[in-house]
Amino acid sequence: MGIPIKKKLLFLPAAGLLFLAGCGNNEVQQIKSAKPELPVAVENIVPVRTAEGAAGEAEILLVPKSAIVRKGELTGILVVGADDRLSLRWIRTGRLMHGEVVVLGGLDKGEIVVGTYNPKLNEGVTVIKSPRVTKEVQKK
Amino acid sequence: MNEGIAGKLAKQFINSKITPLLMVAALLVGIMATFMTPREEEPQIVVPMVDLFIPFPGAAPAEIEARVAKPIERTLTEIPGVDYVYSTSMPDVALVTVRYKVGEDAEKSMVKLWSTLMKNMDKMPQGVQFPLMKKVSIDDVPVLNLTFWSKSKDPYQIRKTAVEVADELKKIKNIGDVEIKGGLKRQIKIVLDKQKLLKYNVSPLQITRQVQMANSQMTSGDFKQMNQEIVVRTGKFLESASDVGNIVVGIYGASPVYLRDVASVVDGPEEVNNYNFFGWAAAAPAGSDTGEYPAVTVTVAKRKGGDASVLADKVMERVAGLRQTVISKDITVTETRNYGATASEKVFTLLEHLLMAVVAVTIVVGFFLGWRGSLVVLASVPITFALTLLIYYLLDYSLNRVTLFALIFVTGIVVDDSIIIAENIHRHFAMKRQPKLQAAITAINEVGNPTILATFTVIAAVLPMVFVSGLMGPYMSPMPIGASLAMIFSLLVALIATPWLSFRLLKTESGHHEEYDVTKTGYYKFFNTILSPFIDSPVKRWLAFGVVGLMLAGAIALVPLKAVQMKMLPFDNKNEFQVILDMPEGTSLEQTARVAKELSAYLKTVPEVSSYQYYVGTNAPINFNGLVRHYYLRQKANMADIQVNLVHKGERKAQSHDIAKRVRPGVQQIAQRYHGNAKIVEIPPGPPVMSTLVAEIYGPSHNEQIALAAQVKKVFIETPGVVDVDWLVEADQKVYNLVVNKERAAFRGVSAEQIAQTLRMSLAGMDVGLIHTAHDLDPVTIQVRLPQSDRTSLHDLSGIFVQSQGMGTLTTRLRAGEMIPLSELVKIEEKIQDKSIYHKDLRRVVYVTADVAGATESPVYAMLDMDKKIQKIKLPAGYSITPLYTAAPSTEDKLSMKWDGEWQITFEVFRDLGTAFAVVLVIIYLLIIGWFQSFKTPLIMMIAIPLSLVGIIPGHMLHGAFFTATSMIGMIALAGIMVRNSVLLIDFIQIRRAEGIALKQAVIESAAVRTRPIILTSGAVVIGSVVMLFDPIFQGLAISLIWGGILSTILTLVVVPIVYYMAEKKADKPSITKKS
Repeated sequence: MGIPIKKKLLFLPAAGLLFLAGCGNNEVQQIKSAKPELPVAVENIVPVRTAEGAAGEAEILLVPKSAIVRKGELTGILVVGADDRLSLRWIRTGRLMHGEVVVLGGLDKGEIVVGTYNPKLNEGVTVIKSPRVTKEVQKK
Repeated sequence: MNEGIAGKLAKQFINSKITPLLMVAALLVGIMATFMTPREEEPQIVVPMVDLFIPFPGAAPAEIEARVAKPIERTLTEIPGVDYVYSTSMPDVALVTVRYKVGEDAEKSMVKLWSTLMKNMDKMPQGVQFPLMKKVSIDDVPVLNLTFWSKSKDPYQIRKTAVEVADELKKIKNIGDVEIKGGLKRQIKIVLDKQKLLKYNVSPLQITRQVQMANSQMTSGDFKQMNQEIVVRTGKFLESASDVGNIVVGIYGASPVYLRDVASVVDGPEEVNNYNFFGWAAAAPAGSDTGEYPAVTVTVAKRKGGDASVLADKVMERVAGLRQTVISKDITVTETRNYGATASEKVFTLLEHLLMAVVAVTIVVGFFLGWRGSLVVLASVPITFALTLLIYYLLDYSLNRVTLFALIFVTGIVVDDSIIIAENIHRHFAMKRQPKLQAAITAINEVGNPTILATFTVIAAVLPMVFVSGLMGPYMSPMPIGASLAMIFSLLVALIATPWLSFRLLKTESGHHEEYDVTKTGYYKFFNTILSPFIDSPVKRWLAFGVVGLMLAGAIALVPLKAVQMKMLPFDNKNEFQVILDMPEGTSLEQTARVAKELSAYLKTVPEVSSYQYYVGTNAPINFNGLVRHYYLRQKANMADIQVNLVHKGERKAQSHDIAKRVRPGVQQIAQRYHGNAKIVEIPPGPPVMSTLVAEIYGPSHNEQIALAAQVKKVFIETPGVVDVDWLVEADQKVYNLVVNKERAAFRGVSAEQIAQTLRMSLAGMDVGLIHTAHDLDPVTIQVRLPQSDRTSLHDLSGIFVQSQGMGTLTTRLRAGEMIPLSELVKIEEKIQDKSIYHKDLRRVVYVTADVAGATESPVYAMLDMDKKIQKIKLPAGYSITPLYTAAPSTEDKLSMKWDGEWQITFEVFRDLGTAFAVVLVIIYLLIIGWFQSFKTPLIMMIAIPLSLVGIIPGHMLHGAFFTATSMIGMIALAGIMVRNSVLLIDFIQIRRAEGIALKQAVIESAAVRTRPIILTSGAVVIGSVVMLFDPIFQGLAISLIWGGILSTILTLVVVPIVYYMAEKKADKPSITKKS
């Protein structure tokens, strides 16, 4: 009875290896250092601005035009999370209003975004907020 | 000694030259069949299920329910063979699902449905459009998913590559549907400029008309000239964005207005309507990228009867070939599903299991009969399997997890016939009473007939399982059929091949020539000491019975004590699961994408997850579950599917079900933060159902039903172990109703239709044609729409103008062509979107769904738990409800509730298996009566059946396993095996007594002589089953066979002889006195 069990256990890693060999051949292997990235100071971090909509309409959300990230047809914005980490959020934008863009979907009131998109900023990076922004956020 | 059928057969073949040829031929066809039978993951269940979409634009759910859904349901239930009719009445459309009885012919069902539907189309109200019919079958589930993702390219570019690859893949033979999920299509967008339209006095409808008229080309005929025909073709199709822009759409002053003057014409990706992303997770191969990337998934389905693994290999080969040409370097293709590989793996795992089982059994046989004996058994098993596989191939079964299950299941049983024959030949050779050939034939004669009977008892035990009805039927039927076939083949092999092999391989040991005496064997001494006290002393005998009875009662008591829980089927250890996210209706696509992204970010950190893809705005490639749950309809903005791929099960310790359980709280916490509902959906081990736990709430009015459903939902949430609670009642979604002021519209010369069309074009956009390009594989549409920035609020809507038709409408004397703002003609009403109405078998129903995990894994116990709480719910009408279990309520006048979901199938399966078991007992009883010509003896033999429970139930407790449908199958099969043991035992007692031996002596001798074959055969069953213990689904079966087999065998060897002795004692006395 012991023999079949042992054999079975031996087989599993073998099958696993085969499986891996089978599906791993597509990936572009990229070597990346696994060291945690250091916090980055980002100058222009701004809260999402709310404004009165047109007559009789609900409030609208505004972000600076420079904050918009474009990837083909996709429109995104870098949002600073509660843990001060950056994440790319896909948004739907409306019309332009004096250098600011109306955000129709994807953002909440009171969120903080990177005001000027810098392609060097990656998702998952921890940012240091400048004191001015923090104050402004606390005011809200 | 007269010869039975067995003896005659053996005599024919034992020295025939044809025997080895037959054996080799059987082996060869079997091997061929194994390679030719298509391999796939899921069994081919023919459950004709058809979805009917009946559009009724503009109608509210209540109207659709009354005018479309109900009449259609009524006519459809008249079709013979229809099992259930479900319907969902949504705004603008009715979805009617017809489920035929399992096994009904799919094509015929479609024809019947179509003719019935057409016959009744005249009863449909005006405005109902032509219905769309979609057949849902297992072959719609993609077997291979290829995800194309890229760090630098956008969804539009990736889709372009994916489309080209898909086109190439389509050329592969035997490939089924190839679909593309996600990405953005190429589109010529005519983005209207409201100001310019007003300025140039052009209306959107006018643009549509002009574009459609400009986009035409046709062959006009031919000229005949100089003995030649010259074809004349008129017009030119639009071929590019500039063609579109140059269309004249109106006239302003004296100059033409081009389309490009009033709108911008953009050639490029369509507006974003989905967010599909791919990312590696914690368990990704070393060095993988950590971000998430836009992705497009190509799904490949196979055709019916095709081999999933062969197809998958071919596709992968073709994709590798395309890598140099079509697929550019910065696009990565990752295989995110390959059911071909998993199917192959399952098949090879099984073949390995079979091999191990056979080797293990051979070793056991070797212990008792020596290596030559084990060689005989070893040779006969592959022949049996080869023939069974051949029959599988001929019956058009595929090799899937169910047909394979049947084979593993019989491994331990098919060796038995050969063992019994070989053992007896061995015994007779050892006795040396006769010459070798004669001894062999005598041996076969002695056990041949009981072996035939025993084989038929086992077949009688498993065959009634064919009659399991419902969805579980097709899951079960290959098992009794496969097992019965294998049994018959094993009998033939035992009677034809085994004697031939035994005669040549088994040696009569030279040396001791003394007369064989059974009383000198160890077995005899052993049984003499054990059985004698019980035979001699009635007190001890009754004491023994009492102990056995107590053990049996104790074992059965474990079930109500919940030490052993019942469950339909446990979860299999899969390499994937899905997270289904439902945001409240009315949530924007971006918000849903955001929550999906956050969920993925969490799932990414789970150590066993290798990769994930999320699909927002399109459904994820469906799996077996999604087929029944209509997941292919999950394309709304508030829905997202996350496909989670785990590392191969060999590389992780945790079972997929445990991982799912572990991540559930985290997933739900994130979803709840955004008021969403996330469910973890695992691939069901058995037939898929809407949800594990489903409460159907019936009642006199929809509002009362919803109110009760809310209370039931609360009970669900409060009950520990009940998770993923949801209901099929939509959240409130805001709707603006634009009511046309008819008088004013008439006065201004505008029709209501014109207003509706203009609005639709402005908001949803309208496809006005295709551009005709030679090199695009996807059709490229021309769409007229307002820019995103101009359709964000009611305020924007009022800026849209319609053009007066003037006197043409006959309702006004004003001049045509005047631009009238919409805001002047419509009044805005704010409303809440009407809720969808569900019907099941003509009754209006509200569903509350949930899953079970954690505190209890079996829905039955959760249901019993909740029953009490539900009964306590106070209804406004003053009565309380008692949940129903088996049938829908007879009346809708009162509120009522019925359990459905997995319970329904569990109930059907255990009911049918219970019935099958009862039938089995009767058949076995009849078979033995026919053989022994006694009414009493069969009862004694069947004592062994309940005794197996003594092993089965505590066995489940010991392993901490559920008592599942497979356990039940094991129990039923064991009944056959145990009765066979008794048959062999009592048959020998009777032979000895016919030879004039005293009852007590015969009983002990029989136990002694038959112990070896009984232990050998039971041992084969037990050891053959050990390999199944590691498989989550077959575990129940293995436990039943192992523990039931061991305990039952031991008790059979003691209890059956004693009971037989007691029963025969009275009848025996006179015969003894006569003889003495």
